[in-house]
Amino acid sequence: MSGLEVKLRGALEAVADCSALLAGAWTGLTAADLARRPVSIAGRGPVALGELAGVSGEPDGTVRFVGDWRQAARLGAGLTGGRVAIEGDAGDEIGLAMAGGSIEVRGNAGERAGAAAPEARRGMTGGELVVHGSVGREAGALMRRGLLVAGGTVGDHAAAGMIAGTLVAFGAVGPAPGLWSKRGSVVALGELPVPSTYRYACTYQPVHLRLLLSRLQARYALPVEGRHLSGFYRRYSGDLAELGKGEILAWTA
Amino acid sequence: MNIRGAFIEETFAEAFTMRVARIIITARNERWAREAALKLTGFATSVIGCKVEAGIERQLPDGETPDGRPGLSVLMMTMGKDDLPKRLIERIGQTVLTCPTTACFDGLPAAPDRLGVGSALRFFGDGFQASKVIGGERFWRIPVMEGEFVVQERFGMVKGVGGGNFLILARTADAALQAAEAAVDAMAGYPGVILPFPGGVVRSGSKVGSRRIKSMIASTNDAYCPTLRAITATALPDTVNSVLEIVINGIDAEAIAGAMRLGIGAACREGVVSISAGNYGGKLGPHHFHLRKIMDGAA
Repeated sequence: MSGLEVKLRGALEAVADCSALLAGAWTGLTAADLARRPVSIAGRGPVALGELAGVSGEPDGTVRFVGDWRQAARLGAGLTGGRVAIEGDAGDEIGLAMAGGSIEVRGNAGERAGAAAPEARRGMTGGELVVHGSVGREAGALMRRGLLVAGGTVGDHAAAGMIAGTLVAFGAVGPAPGLWSKRGSVVALGELPVPSTYRYACTYQPVHLRLLLSRLQARYALPVEGRHLSGFYRRYSGDLAELGKGEILAWTA
Repeated sequence: MNIRGAFIEETFAEAFTMRVARIIITARNERWAREAALKLTGFATSVIGCKVEAGIERQLPDGETPDGRPGLSVLMMTMGKDDLPKRLIERIGQTVLTCPTTACFDGLPAAPDRLGVGSALRFFGDGFQASKVIGGERFWRIPVMEGEFVVQERFGMVKGVGGGNFLILARTADAALQAAEAAVDAMAGYPGVILPFPGGVVRSGSKVGSRRIKSMIASTNDAYCPTLRAITATALPDTVNSVLEIVINGIDAEAIAGAMRLGIGAACREGVVSISAGNYGGKLGPHHFHLRKIMDGAA
């Protein structure tokens, strides 16, 4: 078996702050090392990961989380490298302010995926956070760099205050995406309400999206179709209440 | 050694180490990728007068290009490593950026030496340019009147080989041309090589220096000029009335040797007296392509 596997023994009884699990250098950690890293459970305090889950395997820069991790908050926060896979759903604030590496969630993720911590000025600054299902509200808030992808729907206020980076939504996007963004891209392959502070620029075929979507198809097996690759996109510039160098690219046909 | 009546001389082609970049040009269709590639590789036959040697390497199927569109790969080569980024920036900026629907990508992603190309061209965007990091590589999006020009930030550079060659010595000019065309056709699309001269063929092979003008670095190869047979130290057999040269540059010596084998094999046909090669006695270039060794087993 290659890589580490973290398998929950049972459902988490309360919200568990997992922000310390993969912060800093973790790719060289053994299963025993990782099992000693703390998880902070609401109302109970810090416990070692090993008390909640079985950790096994050999380090190779990858880790798989198996079980019901919906109560796990801030999993992969501050990630700087390696590949993280969550085989089911994930909780709130996954990939919070991550800076590198990749996180792939097979199911849905909660609120504020890839966003900034409440006290911080920047969300994701690098890496790839790919959620095959849907993500909650404020995904990618204050993103500075990196890629955030939702295979399903995206909640309201996505990419709020985005500084740069890319958010791709395969499903419908909720109200007020990209509000207060400076730069960066919100790519919508489904429905998207364009905020009033964005202005239509043109309809065209962005070549860079062919690169991006081809990669998502090849690396993450996301359901990219020919119409996405060769289709036309409406480009909206915004947020014009801010710098206005951001964009919404909305697939049309 | 004889191949279909053509004598393979006991000699070798002498070639030099050059620096190489591979540029992938894609476009909405093959027509526009080729238009850009032809301009990019124009006036780039020899560093003697062109600063860069370049040519189309091969046409790429859609599935082989980074953006999945039709494309071509081009090799650009210079003698010095400092020259290559300058040539890439000025040529891509004036030919690929200007050509409708094109995009431009690095074709040597594994090369450790990286040259800033898109990072320089982005300034054409006048502050409106934007970049995207995709798979760890940065791509610049430069707004243009047609839409957007996408160019990769960095291009790989490796050591390659320039100046592989062979000479076709024929009874008539027509026979020499037909043999040269057959050789070029046989080598077309061979991975890792380019033929930088017009149609892949050189009629004006040169020797080092000049008999009369000290400042000239090259002048006509009088030993192979049939019109000078009577008044110079000729290298031509009596029956030869025309000579054409094929020059081959490549990513490495193996690619050149492979292409030469195909080209020489195709050139050995009716009307060709012999196949020779250009060298400088083996003292200038580190790469020697011995014709008989390359053609071993083909006779």
